[in-house]
Amino acid sequence: MAQVLAVAYKDFLRSSRSMFSLGMMLVAPLLITGLIALAFGGLASGSGDMAALRVLVLNADQPAEGQMEIGAMVLPFLQDEKMPTWLQAESVTDEAAARQMLDQGQAGALVLIPADFSENIAVGKATQITILQDPTLTIGPAVLEDLLRIFSGGIAGAQVGLTVISDQLSNAGAQVDGNIIQTAAMGYSQWFTALQQNLNHGAEPQLQIVSPLGVEKDNSANTFQQIIAQTMAGMLIFFTFFTGASSAQLLLKEQEEGTLARLFTTPKGRDAILAGKLLSGLLTVLAQSAVLMISSSLLFGVNWGSPASVLLAVLATALAATGFGLLVLSGVRSMRQAGPVIGGVLSATGMMGGLMTTTVPMPDFFNQLNLLVPQGWALRAWKLTLQGASVTDVLLPALVLALIGAACFAAGSIIFRKRFA
Amino acid sequence: MTAPFSIETTQLKKSFGSFEAVRGLDLRVTKGEIFSLLGPNGAGKSTSISMICGLLQPTAGQVSVCGIDLSRDPQAAKATLGVVPQDIALYPDLSARENLLFWGRMYGLSGKLLRQRVDETLEMIGLGDRQNGRVGSFSGGMKRRVNIGVALLHRPQVVIMDEPTVGIDPQSRRHILDNVKELNRQGMTVLYTTHYMEEAQELSDHIAIMDHGEIIASGTHNELLRLVGEHTRVDLTVTSDPAELAAAWQNLEGVAQVIPNHQVVRLMVTDSNLVLPRVFESAAALGARVQAVDIQEANLESVFLHLTGRALRDSQG
Repeated sequence: MAQVLAVAYKDFLRSSRSMFSLGMMLVAPLLITGLIALAFGGLASGSGDMAALRVLVLNADQPAEGQMEIGAMVLPFLQDEKMPTWLQAESVTDEAAARQMLDQGQAGALVLIPADFSENIAVGKATQITILQDPTLTIGPAVLEDLLRIFSGGIAGAQVGLTVISDQLSNAGAQVDGNIIQTAAMGYSQWFTALQQNLNHGAEPQLQIVSPLGVEKDNSANTFQQIIAQTMAGMLIFFTFFTGASSAQLLLKEQEEGTLARLFTTPKGRDAILAGKLLSGLLTVLAQSAVLMISSSLLFGVNWGSPASVLLAVLATALAATGFGLLVLSGVRSMRQAGPVIGGVLSATGMMGGLMTTTVPMPDFFNQLNLLVPQGWALRAWKLTLQGASVTDVLLPALVLALIGAACFAAGSIIFRKRFA
Repeated sequence: MTAPFSIETTQLKKSFGSFEAVRGLDLRVTKGEIFSLLGPNGAGKSTSISMICGLLQPTAGQVSVCGIDLSRDPQAAKATLGVVPQDIALYPDLSARENLLFWGRMYGLSGKLLRQRVDETLEMIGLGDRQNGRVGSFSGGMKRRVNIGVALLHRPQVVIMDEPTVGIDPQSRRHILDNVKELNRQGMTVLYTTHYMEEAQELSDHIAIMDHGEIIASGTHNELLRLVGEHTRVDLTVTSDPAELAAAWQNLEGVAQVIPNHQVVRLMVTDSNLVLPRVFESAAALGARVQAVDIQEANLESVFLHLTGRALRDSQG
């Protein structure tokens, strides 16, 4: 056992002294996630929260005498206290000045409400709200668009309701005058506003979105953090598999350095050496995972989930990464071959496992395809922990990962032992 | 356990495909001696060493180390050995001290004893003041010294050194040779392979000359010299036809053999002081000039030449 520990400690020491290994283990995953965070503007605020989006609302709506002022409802809707805090809507009156502010980056989006907005709605004609946005921003304007779709959905609902009321009154022989329509519209409007306010944010929300695991999704302003967390999980898995392969690569390095042959002249056999390599791979991956999780929590506010589930996912991923790395490297003859093989195999299996598309909705068959490679199972385990799943929920993918790791290690060991016999 | 031989091989063979690298090696290294395996590159020395230290599986034959059959109890047999490989086998990104600590652990040392042995070894190899320097930044000679130190940490009964002085400066070579003598003085048996006959000559109690996977001669230095009749080699560079001169010198008293080769005529003589005046007289009589004379007393080089017809230094096996 002392020899196994000696090999493991020595390999761990060597890995920690290689700038390339450190770069691939720690810097690359944080850097890629950081770049994604920067691209989404999340780091601008210095935290993992969404950067503030200044929205200018130009309401040119001029309803006829006695008509509801629907255009005037847009700004209060966006300024509602239940809206995300990063959404900062304000009224403007000069379109040219507003466009200039948008061009100069002083605002993130401009909402234009046309002059005939209320009138067209009143007569059942099509109308539109225009959103102009800073092209460098993505999530904020997308959320704004979604919110305005909810608003327009309410208006459309009102239109349908008024048409039905009007038709039924006509069919019943009643005279449909403006007052009735106005009263109905006001009633619908009040109901719709109340629904909007209580839909998600009330003390007793009228609508809850519940995941199959019973984990309540925070559907307010955490889109950014979900993207970052899932991206980080993908990067963590990708680069821990890289580290697992790099640990196995040390066998080839030792072969070329002549130290492997020297190790074989020591009293302990090849089993102790391979066991030491496995232990070193596990230790390195565990250390890498710990550093990445702590760093991403501090830098991007990622909440990895319950400690027990995370520990299970980390251990299973480490075992799979180390075993898979040994198997991949067992077919490689030299260090020169190792680089392209590791890069090629891990990139291909990583993509197949869905590590590069963690935040993109993919077809069902692709989600099934993920499970043909260990990275897919690892991603499944990590997505569960990110959702706050319990140990029981994470157990299945963790068990599959551990089995894959053990099988790969056994196969890799047999091949290496034959090679060095 | 008391065994007369520290290393004993019986009909040891190793083939790589159809190529026979070692052909029935019978080696007996007596306890406490320095035994040199001398031969040109490719003679089969390193392959033999690899089989003796358990790195290569023999095609046939047996190896016994300190009376322990290597195939039956490799762990016990290997524990008695310290191996210095031909190429530097160290971790360049670890310091000299870290390397020694690691290899010490691999031989079962730990705690205070390990640290003590590492300190002693660092002192012995003269690198106490550089112990925390990365091995990758060391000179070739310093690396060689650490390479040897690693094999001595666990105080093995037998040290196997495979060409430990290849490609290093004279100062480091001297240091290594002195270390080998000191280790032997302390009671360690040393199996030393080299293609430098001076080293074998200086160090060894017993020398085996190997060529083409076989031992072609074995014995003490003096016993081997007697194989060539203790003749002195005299090389004369001449201006005229060497064949004509060779024919004339063949009949001179004290000349055992004449070998003409281009403008050099090689004479194997019993006493160069006696023969050379006659050689010059004969050359003058034939109108030839002797431009240069190189005298080499009988040595292992001449033994190898005598046995194989090839020079040891130039031979590729």
